[in-house]
Amino acid sequence: MNSIPCLTIEDVANLDGILGEFLQKAEAELTVVIDRGGNVISQFGDISVMDVTIIAALAAGSFAATKELARRIGEIEFNALYHQGNGNHIFMNSVDEDTIMITVFGKRSTVGLVRFYSTATAQRVSELLQSLQNNGGHGFTFDAADITAAPIFADAK
Amino acid sequence: MSIINYASREIQFKIVYYGPALCGKTTNLDYIHKRINPENRGDLVSLATASDRTLFFDFLPLNAVVIKGFVTKFQLYTVPGQVIYNATRQLVLRSVDGVVFVADSQWEKMEENVESFKNLEENLAKQNASIDEIPYVLQYNKRDLENIAPVNYMEYVLNNRKKRVQSFEVVSSTGQNVFAALNAVSQILLHKFSKQGEVPQNSPAPVAIPVEPEVHAQEGAAL
Repeated sequence: MNSIPCLTIEDVANLDGILGEFLQKAEAELTVVIDRGGNVISQFGDISVMDVTIIAALAAGSFAATKELARRIGEIEFNALYHQGNGNHIFMNSVDEDTIMITVFGKRSTVGLVRFYSTATAQRVSELLQSLQNNGGHGFTFDAADITAAPIFADAK
Repeated sequence: MSIINYASREIQFKIVYYGPALCGKTTNLDYIHKRINPENRGDLVSLATASDRTLFFDFLPLNAVVIKGFVTKFQLYTVPGQVIYNATRQLVLRSVDGVVFVADSQWEKMEENVESFKNLEENLAKQNASIDEIPYVLQYNKRDLENIAPVNYMEYVLNNRKKRVQSFEVVSSTGQNVFAALNAVSQILLHKFSKQGEVPQNSPAPVAIPVEPEVHAQEGAAL
């Protein structure tokens, strides 16, 4: 039997606490913690105008794609990436070998400020995720009877 | 890797459409995006070249309530089929939960199908995964064309592992069996995580697996 790794309400509250503090200090709009496969682990901030799922998928791809570039100059990977826009920018940094943190910020902040606070935040997030793993993690499983028997997706003909 | 968030009551799964170049992976996602209820999907993101060949991946997020009380997010990805983009395929396969292997039914594409399936196995092995552990289904696409191999032959070539999987005769351009394949792989991967571990035996039989012709008693007697 397989179980799905899960974040309890308490785990999410702890992560939110760390990310909320970071957003406040860095004066950023949104921060998202994702795994390197593009799955969202946690998010905090103004998500009303952005599709976080898509941002996560593209950011994971972007981060991975530059790995080869890093290798060409003798690095294993780039620890951080910065995409500069006209008004909104994205800063991404590595949390650990499985996790990435994405920060979206606007004119209220600067890349220096975001970079400065994101380093310590990534460390705290990494420690929190590590502690979950060390505790054996939480596994979620369910009964097959709980799965809908009807077709999950319907063709709207 | 799937992950569940108890606070938002969400579960995420990643499904990758894999197959040789120009077999119809993007067409699958395009059809699903067009036909599914807009409330249950996000935008289709396509990172393609000017000639519409997939350069990086296509991505389509879907939502459904399939387990009591939880919103399940299925993230559909395609890989670039062209041989040279193997590094990209490895990236997209990272943390995959389920695979839809799209095979091109045309005779001249059979070698590419086999190569692509081998490539899938190799790329999974590089992340310490095995095709035998990952829920997957097969699509035999382009069944509307004339120069196509019979289903029996495609089964022999592609569905020849110890455990045979569900396969579907698909025309992705018109949508024939596109949703059936998606629903099948979704059910298999959901059941993988259930306490029972497998889809119950009374679920529908694999679609394209040929059925032995019935031998009538009288015919048998005549022989």
